[in-house]
Amino acid sequence: MTTVIMRTTARAIVPIILVVAISLFFEGHNLPGGGFIGGVLTVTAFAIVYMAFGLDFLERGVLGRDVDPGKGASRDRVVVAYRRLFAYGFAIAVASGLVPLLFGRPFLTQTYEPLEGIPIYDYLGIASALAFDFGVYCVVVGGLLTILSVVGAE
Amino acid sequence: MSPDLAMVVAAVALPFVAAALTPVFFRVLGEGTGFAGTVVALASFGLLATQYGSEGSVSLEWIPSLNIALRFYVDGWALLFALLACGIGALIFTYSPAYMHGESGLVRYYAALLAFMGSIVGVALAADLIAIFLFWELTSLASFVLIGYYTADDSSQYAARMAMFITVGGGLFLLVGFLLLSIVAGDVLGPGAAFNLAAMLEEPDAIAAALRERGLFLPVLGLLAIGAGTKSAQVPLHFWLPNAMAAPTPVSAFLHSATMVKVGVYFIGRVRPILVGPEWLFLFATLGLTTMTVCAIMAVASTDIKELLAYSTASHLGLMVAGFGFTSVYGAETGVFHLFNHALFKAALFLVAGIVAHEAGTREIDELGGLRHDLPVTAVITTIVALSMAGIPPFNGFYSKELLFEAAVEAIHHHDIGVLGVLYPAVAVFGSIFTVLYSLRFLSLFFGERPEALGHVHRPPVTLLVPPAVLALLAAVVSVDPQIAVDAIVQSGLEATAVDPQEMHVGLPTSYSTPVGMSAVTIGVGLVAFPFYGRIHDVVRGVVGATPQIRPNWWYDVIVEGLSDEGRSFAEYVHDGHLRTYASWTLGATCALALTGFVAAGAIAPTEFGLEATVPIALVLLVAVIGAVAVARSDSHIAGVLTLSILGFMIAIFYILASAPDLALTQLVVETLVLVIFLLVIEEIPESYEIGIGNVGTVVRDAVLSVAVGATAFVTVLVTTGARPDGASNIARYYAQRAVPEGGGTNIVNVILVDFRGFDTLGELAVVALAAISILTLIVMRDRSEGDALTDMPDGNNELTDDEPTDDEPDGTRRGGSSGGADE
Repeated sequence: MTTVIMRTTARAIVPIILVVAISLFFEGHNLPGGGFIGGVLTVTAFAIVYMAFGLDFLERGVLGRDVDPGKGASRDRVVVAYRRLFAYGFAIAVASGLVPLLFGRPFLTQTYEPLEGIPIYDYLGIASALAFDFGVYCVVVGGLLTILSVVGAE
Repeated sequence: MSPDLAMVVAAVALPFVAAALTPVFFRVLGEGTGFAGTVVALASFGLLATQYGSEGSVSLEWIPSLNIALRFYVDGWALLFALLACGIGALIFTYSPAYMHGESGLVRYYAALLAFMGSIVGVALAADLIAIFLFWELTSLASFVLIGYYTADDSSQYAARMAMFITVGGGLFLLVGFLLLSIVAGDVLGPGAAFNLAAMLEEPDAIAAALRERGLFLPVLGLLAIGAGTKSAQVPLHFWLPNAMAAPTPVSAFLHSATMVKVGVYFIGRVRPILVGPEWLFLFATLGLTTMTVCAIMAVASTDIKELLAYSTASHLGLMVAGFGFTSVYGAETGVFHLFNHALFKAALFLVAGIVAHEAGTREIDELGGLRHDLPVTAVITTIVALSMAGIPPFNGFYSKELLFEAAVEAIHHHDIGVLGVLYPAVAVFGSIFTVLYSLRFLSLFFGERPEALGHVHRPPVTLLVPPAVLALLAAVVSVDPQIAVDAIVQSGLEATAVDPQEMHVGLPTSYSTPVGMSAVTIGVGLVAFPFYGRIHDVVRGVVGATPQIRPNWWYDVIVEGLSDEGRSFAEYVHDGHLRTYASWTLGATCALALTGFVAAGAIAPTEFGLEATVPIALVLLVAVIGAVAVARSDSHIAGVLTLSILGFMIAIFYILASAPDLALTQLVVETLVLVIFLLVIEEIPESYEIGIGNVGTVVRDAVLSVAVGATAFVTVLVTTGARPDGASNIARYYAQRAVPEGGGTNIVNVILVDFRGFDTLGELAVVALAAISILTLIVMRDRSEGDALTDMPDGNNELTDDEPTDDEPDGTRRGGSSGGADE
């Protein structure tokens, strides 16, 4: 499916998808969105890259590394990075839940801090849940991309 | 004096902490890790010793909402058992380095041994039913690791599996018994004490009366007896114990003699005040005496010194169970005192067996003899402990066996048991004769002629000799003055297990009584029959060999093999490698379960439902239906996937119209991703690949299945939406009101996900992570199984993985891959 149309479209839409994904992630607390949806949308962007340019594109074309054909897909450095991503994501989520224990609150207690008078935004609510949500995002992106790249290479 | 929580918890926790730190110890100390274990065991021993004389329960909050606590009960009986476990543990750890010299996997060995000791101390002290069960099964797990220490050895694996199967299985019976007991105790003592064994022991009569009233007395008694019986190797489930001799000898000494197998006996003693009665007498006295006799006979038939000791252990466990089974105070005295004595002499005997096997290089009884010349110190130790095991006066085993005879005779006075009143003493004597026989046989390894074939026997190193010597010394002290042991700990153990405790006095008999006569008969017949040992041995072996059906081991093999075969053929039927088959079974089972659930709950009722749909919704659903029909009619993959996503996108629009923007967004994004992944995967699938429509049977089956799935989904939607209350429910209002003030977010769905129900989300994260890991594992494992390991074969591996699955399974792997994508 690596047609010219596909590639051209992918070049245009992948950045847009990524930006939308990130904005969905950040505005999740007040508008539809959040870590899960943002994560899935990010994965979609990667999936489109894979579809348009092939599975080795990230390794070879973007990172400029040679792909060793002898190794299985699960050994690719990109896949290793995905694996790390979901492991770290899970660690972040758990760690964000452990922090409240230090303050004598139950596991996974969340709080938020409204900040006012900020330039441009004027008002910004910073929720501690953002850290947890970031963990969710990382697990979703890392986990799904691992599955996608390993299964896709089959 | 009430016990100190910190001390008790430290004593239980210390071995577990040390087990976790074993790799560190091993790095520093190497093979000397055993001595670190000695220190740990002695530390636990010391911590427990500070609680000597205290009585009462202490608890640590654990699951307060279910009234489950980490509760420990300290009294003489618990201390006796816990101190034995730690004390003998310390000796075993001292003995291990020399014995296990040069073995690999020592980290695992010491870690498991420490955890084993910790869990036994835990069982001894725990007073919460759930905590007891937990420690109970931990002992089984640890023993599994220890018995299966020689992982490359088939017999070791077999024995470990068998021990696990029997003891863990028995533990499950125990759990059911506990739950029944807790229901009754919760009503009698209040819900707070439902699992509190310490509270139950304070009011044993009320609990027993309540159990009888509800007809639960016999079930609870039976279930606890099965649990304790499997653990303590009672007939007919005794056979795992002799098999467990596949473990390294120090483990056998620890497992067989001192502790784990006695956990059952210990527990019988623990609940004795609650459940004692006529049924108790009948059950445990019969069970114990049968075990004692059967296993004593089997010990005589043994050809291996460890096998002999293992059967004798089971036999002595029978003796203790029988002792506790007799309801008189002598019964409790037998149980407590023999538990103590047996630990001393049997641990020493196993350690001696280890020395013999280690230094002489064989465990065959026939190949050994006259060892006193080579192992003089060991011979002295063996003389003391073997005579003690035989129950020859004045050695310590005699006193507790004498108590058994007394209890057996006494049983007639307590209950009207008819012919059993004669049978019990008779069987006790009969079994004890065999005990004398095999004890003398073991002793004769050190005396008589030294066989020619026996090579040079080394002197054992001092660390192998000291532990059994310490035990033999203790046994000798108790033999000379049993009252020391009684005053020190046995009396307080008796008070915990007997209904009507009294001052206990033991000593050599000074005048004739029935039990003395029984002892005289036992020893006399044993000595007279000993010259014919070889013939008795052959006869028993002949009978057992000719009729394998009388051996429970045979039944075990038949049942386990039968189950494995059945399981294998069933597995082939249920998952044969075709995704079709997997899907049929999964979907069919799900439908059946869901529909049965609805019917059982009476949820399905004829209801009227009106169609209320606005024009846009009707339009969207219509397009969805058309999409669904198109999927079924599409003749290529691409068309199928594209039309399927029409359905998905229509559902997303439906969500928007039904004012669920978050859901709609998720549906849109996931639908897009699934579509993209499908397209990515489909590219790889050959054009020619088509599912052939099978024969009529397949079509009918598929049709029935799909109708069932559709009907289940339809009914589920009807039932679940029908049960929803009108308007906003309490929960909905709660979240709507709290989202902004407490979560600081206006998107309720997200606030629920990360603030209110963050733990659920965390669980889902784990699911995603697990899915990724399992897919990785599956694919990596497949690569390994098909070619050589990845590392061995850097080239050509891809060709293998690409070709073979397509040859073997025309559709399984490919479609498995695509479904892996669709799961997300």
